[in-house]
Amino acid sequence: MENALGLSGGQTLLMSITIGITLLGLVGLAMALLMKKRWKLTYGIEYLFIAALLVMAYYGDYASTSVYTAYQEDLRVNETVSGEIVKDVDRDKKFDRILRVVAFQWGFAFITAEEEISRNAAIVKPGERVLFQVVTNDVIHGFNIPVARITAEIDPGDVRELWIRAPKKPGKYLIQCVNYCGVGHAQMKAWLVVEGDTPTAKLKNSGEKTNGA
Amino acid sequence: MAHELDHSRTGAAPHWKPENLIGTMPLKTLMFSDDYRCIALKGILTAFIMLALGGTFALIFRTELAVPGAQFLGARVYMTLMTLHGMVMVFGFLIPLTISVCYYMIPKVLGTERLEWPKVAHLSYWILMLAAVLLIIGRPDFTWTAYAPMSLRVGSDLVWMGYVAIFLVAVSEFLAGLVLWRNAMMGVAKCGWKKLPMMGWGAAVVGLLMIVSTIPLGFIGIGLLTDWLEMTAWFDPARGGSVKFFLYVFWTYGHPAVYLPFVPAIAILYTLMPRILGRPMWSYWSGVIAFLLLGLFAMPIGPHHFQPLYTISGWYERMIQIFTLLVFIPSVLHVFNWIATLWGDPIPKSAQASVPFKFMISAIAFIIYGGATAYVNGQIATDSDFIHNTYWIPAHFHAMFFGFAGQMAFAGFYYLYPYFTGRMYNQRMANSHFWLWQIGLFTKITMMFVAGYAYFPRWVYDYLPLKEWVMPQMMITAAGYLIGLGFLIFVFNVALSATRGERAPDEPWPVEHDDAAPSAVPAE
Repeated sequence: MENALGLSGGQTLLMSITIGITLLGLVGLAMALLMKKRWKLTYGIEYLFIAALLVMAYYGDYASTSVYTAYQEDLRVNETVSGEIVKDVDRDKKFDRILRVVAFQWGFAFITAEEEISRNAAIVKPGERVLFQVVTNDVIHGFNIPVARITAEIDPGDVRELWIRAPKKPGKYLIQCVNYCGVGHAQMKAWLVVEGDTPTAKLKNSGEKTNGA
Repeated sequence: MAHELDHSRTGAAPHWKPENLIGTMPLKTLMFSDDYRCIALKGILTAFIMLALGGTFALIFRTELAVPGAQFLGARVYMTLMTLHGMVMVFGFLIPLTISVCYYMIPKVLGTERLEWPKVAHLSYWILMLAAVLLIIGRPDFTWTAYAPMSLRVGSDLVWMGYVAIFLVAVSEFLAGLVLWRNAMMGVAKCGWKKLPMMGWGAAVVGLLMIVSTIPLGFIGIGLLTDWLEMTAWFDPARGGSVKFFLYVFWTYGHPAVYLPFVPAIAILYTLMPRILGRPMWSYWSGVIAFLLLGLFAMPIGPHHFQPLYTISGWYERMIQIFTLLVFIPSVLHVFNWIATLWGDPIPKSAQASVPFKFMISAIAFIIYGGATAYVNGQIATDSDFIHNTYWIPAHFHAMFFGFAGQMAFAGFYYLYPYFTGRMYNQRMANSHFWLWQIGLFTKITMMFVAGYAYFPRWVYDYLPLKEWVMPQMMITAAGYLIGLGFLIFVFNVALSATRGERAPDEPWPVEHDDAAPSAVPAE
């Protein structure tokens, strides 16, 4: 699937760089210990090394900023015009489904545009672009969807927006809190339910599905 | 740049003589004497008790986590053990152990032969003990970060003891910072800045970090207490407080806190390496600059610990990301310096056999292994994917804290052992300790990385039986038991060898070269 931050390509490179530096350091250490030949390094080599690290830092900042900025472009909701906050109504059309999410001690409630509430199950269709508007009223919570490769931390009083592309394969995918939020933290889970042709009315062991009435 | 053994900078003074200090020392002297060796030994032995305590807590909750499903611990007991493990290991073991080893070394290395402001060091110790007692009695379950407002709504009626303990830890570390700074300045007065041994630079940097960073921690402790008593509403949004205020204040201490054991451990390494190899460091000034940059970058980058709370659109968040990526550089400069020193001339055969050297090399390996991941940790995009608050983070900080700082403190302890017992430790048992720890630490940290990459969340006592989670958890638990076994062997060795070990020669760490070793050749 298309993952939320679009990191699949960039992340491979970043992880390769990380593994590369690790191996470089460990091999250098092993050579220093085990090889008979000795070298007295000149100080110029260190300057070259620092230059390489600066390039790495620049690339890391560039990669992270460009990926995240592109991701956020889809989330622009409020524009300020002459000091007044106006809503960009066209923005909502970019998404197939918008779910308001209340994170609480200890669970998630998903509220659809039709005001239907589903506790601990976000029901979507395969491949949909889904916008989550997450709030919390009690303590700091986390909101992590591993299959979509996205994590956010939600502060009481804030609205955090995240979007994902739902998996194309129907099934149940984990949503979990990743910030310690009290004694029930381990149970604070929900499911991203990607419905196939048959509606998912029977969510065994995944929390109840209730209507708002 | 020094390429010859420079005694003034490496502090290779000839006044280190083994003696049976601890065997002839009454308990009263150990606890109350102003002699720097007594102050240091008291701190070291207490830190080992804290390690035993924190390690036992870890083994209990690790056993719970070995397989999915709730076994024998409830959520509250689990979180209490987890909270106490974190606090005891950081505040009671790592920071006090590395600093106590420095207390022992500073007067010798700087040639002052006494620790300045010993009464302040005593006060720091006893306040920390009071904090430990309050933590054990209060049994808070809000993790070591005590995030408000959660930390105001958990625990028993005694949870206030946890807030007071946080304040006392801040006071204790502030006082320790004063002692370190004062002694570093004594070293400057004696040697001058340009000849100050690296132990002096380390003491100056960590002393300053402690003085500056513990003030916000003290405010966190007091603020949580007064909020809990409903006298104030600093951090509780339900009563008009601000969670973000808490986060910024806490991490103004929380991130430099990482450097409080890290910088002394680096100073210990710079002290031991020239002595064990019998030659100076590759570059004195590279190490000094790296120390200064570490201290400089440590303070402003705390917000990277909660960056998925924000977006990257703001310039401030972007600057935090950039500074976080740059903090990589001084750490790498240190590692470069150490490897270049090792590379320059043959490793003496005496070094190859010595246990402090083995722990030092392993510590360097772990700082590389854990430190390299800082590159992806610092980036908001990757942090907002698989890193934030998954097991990736404990993997990173266990590598840095235990793999590097903890093991360097043990290298320092093994090195100092003959100087305060007059005897050598048992080599075979010390080797067993070393190898059990290497297997255990590498397995534990690697499996934590694997679990983190599979989004295993932190702070859970129970988890879903996903195949990518079950195997790593079982292996982390098994590794924990190996580490525990290694520690038991260490304790047995230290206790037994103090009375039955081989008597230490006048020079316990002679540098002996293999005559067949090739001489160094210049780099191309």
